[in-house]
Amino acid sequence: MLLSNLEVLPEQTIVRHLGLVQGSSVRSKHVGRDLGAMFKNLVGGELKGYTELLQDSREEATGRLVEQARSLGADAVLNVRYSTSSIAAGAAEIFVYGTAVTLAPR
Amino acid sequence: MVDYENRQPAEGINVTAGHPLRRFAILSASAALLVVLLVLATQFAGALLGRFVPFSAEQRVMRSLDIEFGDAPVDDPVRHYLNELAERLAPGLDLPAGMEVTIHYDSGDTFNAFATLGGNLLFYRGLLERMPNENALAMVVAHEMAHVIHRDPAAGLGGGVASALVLAALTGNAGTAGASDALSRAGLLTGMQFTRRMERRADRAASGAVAALYGHLNGAATLFELIQAERAPSRRPGWLERFSTTHPLDADRIEAITALAEEMGVPLHGAATPIPPQVSAALSRTP
Amino acid sequence: MYQIYGVVALLVIGYGFGQLAERRHLKSLIAREREANALPAIASRFPATDRAYRQQLVGGSVVIASDYFKTFVSGLINLFGGRVTPFESLIDRARREALLRMKAEAQELGAGYVFNVKYETSRIGAGRVPAMEVLAYGTALIADEPVALRATNA
Repeated sequence: MLLSNLEVLPEQTIVRHLGLVQGSSVRSKHVGRDLGAMFKNLVGGELKGYTELLQDSREEATGRLVEQARSLGADAVLNVRYSTSSIAAGAAEIFVYGTAVTLAPR
Repeated sequence: MVDYENRQPAEGINVTAGHPLRRFAILSASAALLVVLLVLATQFAGALLGRFVPFSAEQRVMRSLDIEFGDAPVDDPVRHYLNELAERLAPGLDLPAGMEVTIHYDSGDTFNAFATLGGNLLFYRGLLERMPNENALAMVVAHEMAHVIHRDPAAGLGGGVASALVLAALTGNAGTAGASDALSRAGLLTGMQFTRRMERRADRAASGAVAALYGHLNGAATLFELIQAERAPSRRPGWLERFSTTHPLDADRIEAITALAEEMGVPLHGAATPIPPQVSAALSRTP
Repeated sequence: MYQIYGVVALLVIGYGFGQLAERRHLKSLIAREREANALPAIASRFPATDRAYRQQLVGGSVVIASDYFKTFVSGLINLFGGRVTPFESLIDRARREALLRMKAEAQELGAGYVFNVKYETSRIGAGRVPAMEVLAYGTALIADEPVALRATNA
C-alpha cells in the first residue's frame, strides 16, 4: 500500500478515488513514564518515554488506515494528513486520514 | 477522467474488539491489587522506620515543640491521680527503663483520650467522668500507655506519611476523578488494618496490666461496653464495617476480652474499686 | 463505606445508558453512511474540472461526551498505559457523525462533491468528564445543472 501526502504522483495516474479512509489510535501513558517525565521537568530535554509512546501510536494509526484502504480495494492513499489531539489527562490521540485511490501507470 | 466514488470501508477497524466489562474487571482487579500491595509495603516500611527512631529523639522533638496539652495545671488533683495510677500500672505493662509517660488532662467534654509522640498522653474529662469505677479508668490509662510502649505513635506517623506519599503519586496519575477517588479510598482502607492491629495489641497489653493490678478484667469489659453505649444507638455496624474503621468493632473488642480472660485464667468480673471521692468530685465539677 | 455503593451505582448507570446510546448511534451511522456515499467526499485539493462548478465551504460538527463508566475505565488505564479503548469508539463515532453532517449541508446545497475534506478534533469542557468535538469541513462543488448522484456501492 503506497502512502503519500502528495496530491498527484509523478509516475502514476489516478484511475478512481474510492473515498476517505482514516486510522486513529488513542494511547495512555503509565505511571512509570509519568514519573520519569516529572524528573525531566527539572532538567529539560527530550521526553523519550512520551516520544516512544506517540511513535507507537502513530504506527498503529497508520496501520489502521492501511487496513481501511485495503478493505476498499485501493492501491494507494494520497493526501495523508496526521493530527494529534489530547483526549483526557494523560491520553493522546493520533489521527491520520487521506483519500484512497486506485492507480494506473502513466 | 478521474472517477469519484465513496465506498464504505469495513466496520470496526478503528475500535478494539473485546467486551468493555472484561477490560473493566481486569483493570479494577489489577489496580486494587497494586494499591493494596503498595500501601501494605509502605505502611510496613514506614512503621519500621518510625520505631527505629529512638524514643529519646521523640521526646526531644516534642519538648522543643512545647505543645500545650490540656488545660490542667501540674498540681491538679485529677492529673495527680492519673500519674499515680500510671505508676501502679507500669510494672504490669513492663515499661522499659528510659521510657517515661507524661500525663495531661483537659477539662473539656470530649469523650476521648489519646497517646502521641514523646510519651505524651491526654485524657479528657468527658471520658473520665463516665468511668464508673477505677478499674475502667485504669484500663484507659493502661491502653494509652501500651501505645507508647509499643512505639505506636511513631510507627503510625512513619507508615502514614509513607503510604500517603505513595498514594498521592499513584492517584494523581489516575487521571479522572472517579478512578483516583476509588484508588485513594482503597489505599486508606488498606491502611486501616494497621491501626486496628495496634489497637488490638494495646488492648491485650493493657488487659494484662489491669489483671495484674486488680486480679480481674472487670475494667476492660466495662470500658468497651461503655464505649459501645456511647455510640448512637441507631447505628448498628454492618459486618463490612469492621474493615473500614480505625479501631476494631466494639463487639469484637468485648469478644477479645472474654477470650483473653479465659486464656490468662483470670476472672472476667470482680469487685470494682471505686474512684477516690475527691477525684470524682473534681471530674463532675463543670468548669 | 457507603461511597463505594454510590460509585458502583454510577458505574452501572453509566455503563447501561452509555452502551445503549452507543449502539443506537452506531446503527444510525451505518444506515446514513450507506445513503451518504452517493455524495463523494475527497481529501484531495484538486477539484473536479469536468464542468463549471460553484464552490461553497461546508462543515459539520458534533460534541460527544463520555459517560461515567468510560471515564472511570480511562482513569484506570492511565495507571497501566496502553490503548484507551473506551475513547476509541467515542471518537470514531464523533468523526463519522461530523462527516455526515457536513455531507448533509452539501446535499442541501445540491452539491455533487466535497473536496479537500479536513478534520479538527479537540477536547471540550473543563473538568472531569471529557467531551470531544469534531469538526469536518471541505469545499462543496455545486454544478449549475443538478448533478445526478451516482448509484451507491453499499
